[in-house]
Amino acid sequence: MTTLAEPPAVEVPPEDRPPLRDRARRVAVLVTAPLRRWPSRDAVIVAALVAVVGCVYLPNIGGFPGASDDEGTYLAQAWAVREGLGLAHYTYWYDHPPVGWLQLAALAWLPAAVAPDALAVAAGRYAMVPVVAIILALTYVLTRRLGFARPTAAAALLLLGLSPLTVTLYRQLFLDTFAVAWLLAALVLALSPRKHLWHHVAAGAAAAVAVLSKETMLVAVPAVAVALWQGTLRGLRGYSLVGATAGLALVGVFFPLYALLKGELFPGPDHVSLIGAWQFQLQNRTGSGSVFEAGSSANKLVQSWLFYDWVLPVAGAIAVVAGLFVRRLRAPALAAVLLAVMVVRPGGYLPAMYVIGLLPFFAIATVGLVEIAARRLLAVDPLRHGRRYRASVALLVASTVAAVVLVVPVWTTGLGRAVTRADNSGYEATAVWLRAHAPVEPHARVVLDDVLWLDAVNAGFERERVIWFYKLDLDTAVTATLPRGWRSVDYVISSPAMRADPNILPNVAAVLTHSHVVVTFGTGDDRIEIRRVDQEAQ
Amino acid sequence: MPAVMLAAMSVLLFAFAAMTLWWTMHAWRTPETLAATRFAAPDGTHDLTFSLLVPARHEEEVLEHTVARLMTATHTDLEILIIVGHDDPGTAAVAEKIAATDPARIRVITDTNVPKNKPKALNTALPHCRGAVVGVFDAEDQVHPDLLAHVDSAFRATGADVVQGGVQLINFHSSWFSLHNCLEYFFWFRSRLHLHARKGFIPLGGNTVFVRTEVLRAAGGWDGTCLAEDCDLGVRLSCVGAKVVVAYESAIVTKEETPDTLMSLLKQRTRWNQGFLQVLRKRDWKRLPTMRQRMLARYTLTGPFVQAFSAVAIPIGLYIGLVMDVPVNVALLTFTPVVPMIATLMFQIVGLRDFGQQYGLRIRALHYARLVLGAFPYALVLSLAAVRAVWREWTGKNNWELTKHVGAHLPQGGEPVLEGAAA
Repeated sequence: MTTLAEPPAVEVPPEDRPPLRDRARRVAVLVTAPLRRWPSRDAVIVAALVAVVGCVYLPNIGGFPGASDDEGTYLAQAWAVREGLGLAHYTYWYDHPPVGWLQLAALAWLPAAVAPDALAVAAGRYAMVPVVAIILALTYVLTRRLGFARPTAAAALLLLGLSPLTVTLYRQLFLDTFAVAWLLAALVLALSPRKHLWHHVAAGAAAAVAVLSKETMLVAVPAVAVALWQGTLRGLRGYSLVGATAGLALVGVFFPLYALLKGELFPGPDHVSLIGAWQFQLQNRTGSGSVFEAGSSANKLVQSWLFYDWVLPVAGAIAVVAGLFVRRLRAPALAAVLLAVMVVRPGGYLPAMYVIGLLPFFAIATVGLVEIAARRLLAVDPLRHGRRYRASVALLVASTVAAVVLVVPVWTTGLGRAVTRADNSGYEATAVWLRAHAPVEPHARVVLDDVLWLDAVNAGFERERVIWFYKLDLDTAVTATLPRGWRSVDYVISSPAMRADPNILPNVAAVLTHSHVVVTFGTGDDRIEIRRVDQEAQ
Repeated sequence: MPAVMLAAMSVLLFAFAAMTLWWTMHAWRTPETLAATRFAAPDGTHDLTFSLLVPARHEEEVLEHTVARLMTATHTDLEILIIVGHDDPGTAAVAEKIAATDPARIRVITDTNVPKNKPKALNTALPHCRGAVVGVFDAEDQVHPDLLAHVDSAFRATGADVVQGGVQLINFHSSWFSLHNCLEYFFWFRSRLHLHARKGFIPLGGNTVFVRTEVLRAAGGWDGTCLAEDCDLGVRLSCVGAKVVVAYESAIVTKEETPDTLMSLLKQRTRWNQGFLQVLRKRDWKRLPTMRQRMLARYTLTGPFVQAFSAVAIPIGLYIGLVMDVPVNVALLTFTPVVPMIATLMFQIVGLRDFGQQYGLRIRALHYARLVLGAFPYALVLSLAAVRAVWREWTGKNNWELTKHVGAHLPQGGEPVLEGAAA
C-alpha cells in the first residue's frame, strides 16, 4: 500500500503538483489498490489459458468421443439422486462410493441450461466443464506451489489441457475426473504457503473426498502425506499430520458408516453389502492381463490411450520416475507412480478411464524437470564460459524445436478428431426416435444400454419399465418385475455395448434372438437397432 | 418431527464442538501465530517495580519455599506482600519469620475479613502496594527466577496494561484425571488464551497475572463476592479496553499441581463454573465495545455448560441414530458432532507428546492410554461439575469449596495441606 501511494510521477516536480489533484490521486490509488491485487497476475494467466484450452475442449464435446456405458450409468445415478430415489435407481450395491455422482447431481443444472434437447450423455458432459477448468487451475497452482516459475506452471496447464488424450477422456462423465480434482486440491492445500493448520486438515478432507469420488485414489494418498511433510515446519508438523489424518479418516468414515446404518456393511444372504462389494472388486473382477503382454486387454487399453496421444504419457511416465529423486517433484511424482503401479501390476483389473488420474501429474513432472534442467544448463556465467553458455542455449533451443516438431502433428491430428468427429450420431438418432415413440407406447418395456436410459425416461417411458440390459439377468429385483421373463419385454435397443458379450447374459441373448428390427441407425458394428420383441416366439 | 429436531440438535452440537476445537488450536494455526505466543527475549533493562501478592491460608508447608524462590528472581525491584488471615496463626508465624529475613522487601498483611476468600485477601493488600505493577501468585506456585525480567520487558515492549504469564499443571503422572487436567492447562495457556487476548475479551487466570497498579486501582480491585475473581477481573478490564498480553514460554511457566483426588477436582471445577455463571449474571461483559467481543464473552462464559450438555447429548444422539428407526441421512447427521470430538482427541495425543517434549517429561504408552480411555470419563466429570455449579448457584450456595494441595509438583514432595484461596 505504501509503495502504491508514493508519488509516482518523476516528470511532475512535487511543488508544481496541485494539492487537490494529489489528494484525488491518493484516493484513486486507495480505491483501486485492492482491485489491482485482484485478479492477481496468476488469476489472469489461468483464466486466459483455461480459455485457450476451452477452444479445443468445448467444440463438439457431445460428438466425440463415443458415449461410454459408464457415462450413462453415472448420469442416471446422479439423476436418481436428484429425484430423491436414493444413491441409484436400482439397488445401490456399493460398486463405487457415491460422492462422484453426488457432485454430478449438484452440477446437473448446467447441462439442463446449456443443452436441454441433446442426447442426455452429450448434454451431461457440460457438467464436466467447470470440473476440468478447476483441474487446470489447480495444476497451475500446484506447479507454482512446488516452487516453479509462472511460465513453467503455464506450460503444465497447457501440456495437460491441450493433450488430445486429456481432451478425449476429460470430456466424458467419469468419476476419476472428479477424484483427481480433489486429489490436486489436497496437494495444493498441503502445500499452502501460509502453512495453516486448517488448510492441512482440509487437505486430508479433500483426499477423503477424492477417495469417495473414486476408490482407486486411495493408493495416491501417501503423496498427500509427502506434500504435508514438505509443507510443514518442525514443531507444527505433528499437529498438521494428525489434523490431516483426522480430516481424511473422519470424512472417509462416513461411507462405511452409511452402509452400517443401512445394515449393509457386512455381507449377508438377502442384501447387498459394502464389504461384499469390495470382495467382488478385488477378487472376482476378471484381470486385464499384463500391460507388457501383447493382446491382453490391459495392453490394448494402454495402446488405445497412446493412440490419442503418446507424447504426454511417455514423457510423463519418464518424468514421474525421475521426479521421485527431485525433492520438489516428489509429491506429484509419487502420486503418479503409485497410481501407475496399478497399471503395470500383472493380472489386476484396469479400468478404461484409469489414466485420467495420472495426467496432471505427468504434465507437472514433465515441465518441472524441464525447468530444472534448463536452469542447470543456463547456470553458467556467459562472460567467463561464453562457449558453454552458447552451447547450452543452442541445446535448449534445439530441444524445444524438436519437441514442437514432435508434438504438433500428433496433437493437431488428435485435436482435429476431437472437434470434428460425430461418434454419437447413432445414439442421437435413437434418442429422437424414443422421444417420438414414447407417447405412442408409454407403458412399453424397453431394454437398452446405460447411455440411452435417461433419454428413454426423459422421453416419457415409465422409469420402472426402462431397463439396463444386464439387469435383465443379474438383478433379481428387476427379474421379479417381469411376469413372463424376457417375454415381458416389448423393445430391445441393440447397441455395440449390448452385443459385446451376448453369451454370458441368457435373457439378453433371448430378447436379441427373438426380436426383429424396426429401424436401424448407422451401419456396421457401430449400428444401433431398435428391435421389437416377438413375445410369442418359441 | 423428532427427526428434524435430532438433526438440528446434531448440527448445533457439531458447530459448537468445531468452534471450540478451532479456538483451542489457535496457537498452532500458522508458524506466525505460534511465534506470537512466545515472550520476547528480555532486553536486560529492569524499569518496572513489582508488588507480588501471595495470599496464604494454611500454607505453612509450602510458603517459605515459594517466597524464597520468588526472592531469587533476577529482577530485584520487587516487594512481596504475604497475605495471611487473622484466624491462621500458624501461617502468620511462618510469614513473619520469612519477612524478618528481608524486612525492606517482604511484608505481611493481615486480612480480617469474615468469611475469607482469595479476592478479599487481595483487596486487603492492594492499598499497600508500592510497585508500578501488581502480580499475583499462589502460595504453592513454583515461579521461575527469570519470569519477572520477561514480564518487565513484555510490559514495555507492548505497552500492555495486563500481562498474563503461563501456568502449567505438571504432575500428569499422578492419575488418569491429572493427565487430562494437565493437558487442559497446556491447551488453555499455550493456545486458547492468546486468542482471547487478541480478540479483546479475556478471562484472566488466577495467578502469574500482572496488572499495572493504577489500572487495577481504577478498576476497583477484585470482586470479593465472585467465585471466579480472576475471570471477572479479566472481563472488567476488557470492558474498559485494557490491553492484555499473554506470553507463554515453557521454560518460565509457573508450575502447579492438579487436585489430588477426583472429588477435589470436581469441587474446584464446580467453583470455577459457578464463578463463570456469576460473571455471566453480573453482565459486565455487555459493556464490551464490539458485538463480536460480546458474542465471544457469552460463548466463553457459557462454554462449560454447553460442553457439559454436549458430553451427555452426543452419546444419546448416537444411540438414537444407531438403534431407533430414523432416516439414514438423519442418523448420519447424529454422527457429525463426533467428528470434531475425535479430532480433538487426536490433537490431544499430539499435544501430550508436545507437552512431554517442552517440559522434558517422558510420556509412556500408559499415559497415551489414559488419555484416550479417560477422555469420556473426564468429560463426564466436567459435566457433573457443570451441573453441580448450576445447582449451587440456583440454591444460592456460594461458599468456597477447598482444594487440597499435596505438593506433587515440587521436587521434594510435601505433606497434604489445605488451601482456601485455591488455584
